[in-house]
Amino acid sequence: MTSASTAHRAATTTTPVTHRSAARRIAGYAGWELLRNVRMVESTFFIVVLPTVLYIMFGALSSWGDGEAGHGNVSAYNMTAMAVYGATMATSAIAGSAAIERQQGWGRQLGLTGLGGSGYMVGKILVALGIALLPIVVIFVVGALTGARFDEGWMWPASGGLALLGAIPFALYGLAAALLFRSEAAVSAASGILVVLAFFGNLFMPLTGTLLTIAKFTPVYGIASLTRWPQLEGAVVDTSGGAPAGDPLWAIVLNVGAWTVVFAVLCLIASRRSTRRG
Amino acid sequence: MNTAASPPALHATSVRRHFGTGSRTVHAVAGVDLEIPRGEIVALLGANGAGKTTFLDMVLGFTTPTAGTLTVLGASPKAAVGAGRVGAVLQTGGLLHDLTVRETVAMVASCHAAHIPVDAALERAGATGIGRRKVRQCSGGEQQRLRFALALLTEPDLLLLDEPTAGMDVRARKEFWETMQTEAERGRTVVFATHFLQEASDFADRIVLMRDGRIVVDGPVDEVTRAGQRTLSGVWDGARSPEEVAADLGIDEVVHTSGRVRFTAEDTDGLARVLLSEGLAHDLSITAASLDDVFLDLTAGDSPEDRLGAAPAVEAAPEAVGTGR
Repeated sequence: MTSASTAHRAATTTTPVTHRSAARRIAGYAGWELLRNVRMVESTFFIVVLPTVLYIMFGALSSWGDGEAGHGNVSAYNMTAMAVYGATMATSAIAGSAAIERQQGWGRQLGLTGLGGSGYMVGKILVALGIALLPIVVIFVVGALTGARFDEGWMWPASGGLALLGAIPFALYGLAAALLFRSEAAVSAASGILVVLAFFGNLFMPLTGTLLTIAKFTPVYGIASLTRWPQLEGAVVDTSGGAPAGDPLWAIVLNVGAWTVVFAVLCLIASRRSTRRG
Repeated sequence: MNTAASPPALHATSVRRHFGTGSRTVHAVAGVDLEIPRGEIVALLGANGAGKTTFLDMVLGFTTPTAGTLTVLGASPKAAVGAGRVGAVLQTGGLLHDLTVRETVAMVASCHAAHIPVDAALERAGATGIGRRKVRQCSGGEQQRLRFALALLTEPDLLLLDEPTAGMDVRARKEFWETMQTEAERGRTVVFATHFLQEASDFADRIVLMRDGRIVVDGPVDEVTRAGQRTLSGVWDGARSPEEVAADLGIDEVVHTSGRVRFTAEDTDGLARVLLSEGLAHDLSITAASLDDVFLDLTAGDSPEDRLGAAPAVEAAPEAVGTGR
């Protein structure tokens, strides 16, 4: 929080506010939501701390970290993997909990303010991007400090940006889970399933053989490969000595696009079900 | 100060709201005409399913009428709410459990274009003491006080309260109405829905009673409680029917409720004398007509034809209504 906003916050507790623009309202709402979410230790642990620790264990401290992998080293490969893991966990959880809080009536309290439906959505999107950025930034900084290496400087922001982009379909994933099952438990279950999807996304141990073939059709695989494109250009890392065929860019983009559509359709179906009065 | 041209706090003309289609249509609000001038305190009564909550949803802009016009303070409901001119304490207004009371008010305040200081809102609602408590640790009554603080943030001209003292103990309820008295004295228009008839008769200037989506009673509290009338109830064992006896004595009102017969009349002593001396009834009880009786009468079951013919009036599920979808 900048000092300007804390000063502003202090001012509103003792002095009245006579006019606040729509943009300031959205910023104020988003600011509070960011603070609130970061303060939730349970989710911050899984979104930021866990992936960072996993990176340190398998990427930084491992003996094979310095090995070559495409246009960078293996540590960088693990770094982007963990960044993707954190970012997808973040957007899935934020979107899911947003739907749940509306279902539980918080949306009505906000509906009595000048925030508006679109203000709320913009605010939530800003928060989701902010929270998704957190693991990406933290893990990249830790990675840079512990020997992760890309051949060229532009690959750092490129990979980071792609990780953020790839987290967007998983906002739809989390939202669909919340709309379909309408409970906080469902959102937690969706996060759990995301761990399994992350495994199939080749984020942890490199997959081979049949598992790898199946994995190529799963949602996390697509966005992970896209995020790794600057470094690997579609090549598949294999620690067993074989050289499996790489994935062409069109196949990766198709995977990401198709799964985005699937999640979006699920959201539409689920939201139609929830507004129907039977 | 131009008081003459001030638009009414609420103006509804033939407002209707139905849900569903075809044979499963539910007419939650079936033609409501209501005008509430500024500064009035109105109690909205009605059994569950009478349409109160759906009507209040429309006043707050959460849902739009399927027919009729509805203006709030001279503007559309959404415009009035967005400008902070309407405050509401809703039963179905959820809260975020991980925030403290104070943080909740501060967060909601940041969503308003104009508001009073957070501390002032907490103080007016009597919530300063619980400011540091997390919402999940607050009792039902404390959470209501928080909702009340949220409602007062923008110094609204119209306050809507949906069962505001549900879940409060006697002391909390007393304090709440004392606070409401102060707010009303500031000139706010207050519309509150309640099941507590005592609240309605103690605090409201005017009572509006809804049933099956329509207004069936709308008048000053005194009129509605029929001051001056008394009721006599007893167990009937006469050969003649109560209606006959009533007609003889010029009594208009006879009601049969749970095994007893109830007459509403001014001269209940005379009636008692007749009933007892002629052995028409026993176990008599005489009381001043209360709002409870009026309420029960007016919300009692319909006549058999009405019950068979009318579509059931059911309140819409609140969580499906978002911020003005």
